[in-house]
Amino acid sequence: MQNKNEFVRAIQENEALIYKVSRVYSNSREDEQDLYQEIVYQLWKSFGSFRHESRLSTWMYRIALNTAISNLNKEKRKGTFLPLNEWALNRPDSTDLLREEKYELLYAHIRQLSTVEKGIILLYLEGKSYEEMAAITGFTTTNIGTRLGRIKQKLITQIKK
Amino acid sequence: MELEEMKSLWGEMSGKIDQQKKLTDSLIIKMTRSDYKNKIMKIFIPELIGALVCFGAALYILFSLQKLDEWYLVVCGIVSVLILFLLPILSFNATNKIRSLNILANNYKQSLLEYSKGKRQFIFVQKLSFYLGAVLLLTVLPVTGQLIAGKDLFIESRLWIWYAIGYLFFYGFSKWVFRKYAKATVEAEEILKELENG
Repeated sequence: MQNKNEFVRAIQENEALIYKVSRVYSNSREDEQDLYQEIVYQLWKSFGSFRHESRLSTWMYRIALNTAISNLNKEKRKGTFLPLNEWALNRPDSTDLLREEKYELLYAHIRQLSTVEKGIILLYLEGKSYEEMAAITGFTTTNIGTRLGRIKQKLITQIKK
Repeated sequence: MELEEMKSLWGEMSGKIDQQKKLTDSLIIKMTRSDYKNKIMKIFIPELIGALVCFGAALYILFSLQKLDEWYLVVCGIVSVLILFLLPILSFNATNKIRSLNILANNYKQSLLEYSKGKRQFIFVQKLSFYLGAVLLLTVLPVTGQLIAGKDLFIESRLWIWYAIGYLFFYGFSKWVFRKYAKATVEAEEILKELENG
C-alpha cells in the first residue's frame, strides 16, 4: 500500500511530463490518451525496481520515452482505454485562444521531426542538461550537441515554409 | 519561432499544466489495473485463433495423408502441412520481438535500435508469410478437394480457374499490403540510418 501511495504521489508530481511525452508522440487525442495510460501502466510495472540511483524524473523520462517507442508499432485499440469523460487530459486550460494556437503550433513543429529527434528536443525544451539528456537517451553529450544543432536548422527551415 | 522562443513558450505551457494537477488518486490506480490485461489479450486472441486454425488444418491433413492416393497430391499435402506449421511460428516470433522491448533497462537509443531492427524483421517475415500463403493456396486446393469431396481436382475439374480467381485476389491484396509495408520499412530504415550516422 505504501508503495502504491508513493507511486500515486510520484505520478501526480510528474503528470505534466507524461502528458508532454504522450502529446509529442501521438497524432490524435485518442492515441494521446492511450499512450498516457500505457506510460502510467509501464511506470507502475517498473516502479518497484526504481533504486533512487538517478532522479525520479530522469527515470520517468526514460520509461516514458521507451514506452512511446514501443507504442509506435501498435495498432489503434479503440475502446480499451478509460473513457474520456472520466478524466480530462491535462491540456492547459486556457481562455486565450491565441496562446492555445501557439502551443499547438509548437507541438506540430516537434511532431514533424524524426522519431530520434523528437526525444532530444523534448528533453532540451524541458531544460535538461546535456549530461541528463545523455543519461536518458544513451547518446554522448557531444552527439547531443551535434543533433541539437541539426534540429535547430531543421526547425528554422520548417518554420520558414 | 526560434529555439529559444520555443523553449520559453514550452516553459510557460509546462507551468500551466503543472498548476492544473488533474489526475486523482483513484484514476491513477485504475490506470495501473485490469484494462491492460484486456488490451494485451485483444492483441493475442486473433493471433492465437489464427495459429489454432493453422495447426488444426495441418494436423487434419497430416493424419489424412494416406487418403491421398496420387504422388502429386501427397507432395501437395506435405507442403501444405509444412507451411501451415511454419506460418504461425514465424508470425509469433516476429511480433514477439517488437513487443518484448525492454522498457525498464533500455535507454532511448537502445529502444530505437531494437524497435527498428524488430520492425525490419517483422516486415521481412510478413512478406515471406505472404509468399508462403501463395504457395499454400496452390497446394491446399487439390488436397482439400481430395479429402473433403473425394475428387482429384487435377483430373476432374478445371483447377486452373480456381487458381486464376485465387491469384487475382492475391495480386490485388498483395499490392495493398506491400504498399503499407513499404512505408513502414522506409521509416524503420530511416531511424537506423539516423542512429548509425550519429
